[in-house]
Amino acid sequence: MHAAIQEWVATSRQKLASGSLTADDLDRLADLTRQPRQLVLYLYSRSSNMRSALASWMLYDATKPQEPTLPSQEPPYASVLAAVADGWRIVQFPDIKLYAYQGVDNDYLSFEFILEKMV
Amino acid sequence: MAAIAPTLDDNGVMDFVASGFVILEGIIDTDFNRRCNELPGGNADAFIGGDDFTRTVLLHPQVAGVTRSLLGEDFLVPAGGHHHLFEQPHLGQTWHSDGLSGSGYDVTELQCYYYPHAVEIEDGPTMVLPGSHCRAVDREAIAHYGDIMGQISLTVPAGTVVMTRYGIWHKAGPKTNTRRRGMLKFSYHRQAEPRRDWVTDSPEIPAYADRPRLAYVSEVESYRDRVRRMRTWNWLCGLDTEVELRWEKSRPVSELS
Repeated sequence: MHAAIQEWVATSRQKLASGSLTADDLDRLADLTRQPRQLVLYLYSRSSNMRSALASWMLYDATKPQEPTLPSQEPPYASVLAAVADGWRIVQFPDIKLYAYQGVDNDYLSFEFILEKMV
Repeated sequence: MAAIAPTLDDNGVMDFVASGFVILEGIIDTDFNRRCNELPGGNADAFIGGDDFTRTVLLHPQVAGVTRSLLGEDFLVPAGGHHHLFEQPHLGQTWHSDGLSGSGYDVTELQCYYYPHAVEIEDGPTMVLPGSHCRAVDREAIAHYGDIMGQISLTVPAGTVVMTRYGIWHKAGPKTNTRRRGMLKFSYHRQAEPRRDWVTDSPEIPAYADRPRLAYVSEVESYRDRVRRMRTWNWLCGLDTEVELRWEKSRPVSELS
């Protein structure tokens, strides 16, 4: 980021001298100085295997207005691995100790992967 | 009043045991549905506990018949309830179960949703998750869940009543329009000891016949669901039988010649 701003300053000095600096250049600077924001994606895999099919999903995107969107039965990805292939980083893997094989009562959805993407 | 006749047979009760709900589409007549046009949101004890609602909805033969099937004789009829009314776009509620619920194998309360108007997907229909009624969870700890495979949006015709086992995961779905969407919620309770006194054609109690695995359920969860369903079935039938998974495609070695 720092190097990109330095490059912008050097280029802009030249543009300023030649009188060609424009508002687009300032917009470019604004983009360079903006802090990246985190998208959070919850994916629930049918097993602890990242290739398993998904049972549930939820995207939290703070970069857009929070508006209602209709329910869907189309997962955003076929698997956790497919999401990783699309640039998502896993920030929390399922803790297998939470899925102890005992008793016969189901509770929360399994297996919870939490992923992020910085935009 | 006259005895209320059950309407579910073994198959219908087994379906309920697995899914946790029964949908009775469009059973309440149009004239009564229209009486809800101006009903305000919030507490609806006076309306739901009134004679007209009791006679027309609560004791409707199909509604009372399902209740009689699942809660036995002399069940408790609601004397009040709540009107969930949405008229503006919203993100939707978060997934939750009501009250201290979600565990156990019994069926002691039926929580019902009555829709006086048709509900389309843009209206923010109630969503339910089949089979979630016995998942013991903290209701605030499932609020981050989004779409779940197999979830059902209750897009229903006017006059529909949906009857659920108390504890089923549900929420008001996202609403994208400004059309009035109302739902009256009320509950029946059991008084009688459980026994198989719904519609039957034989005194012999059949074994629980399992239903298909639900779309969001993992492999081991499906085995747990099967055990839980058998226990609920046995409980409803008044049986005190310990449940064990059997292998129908096997036979004792001593029977082989």
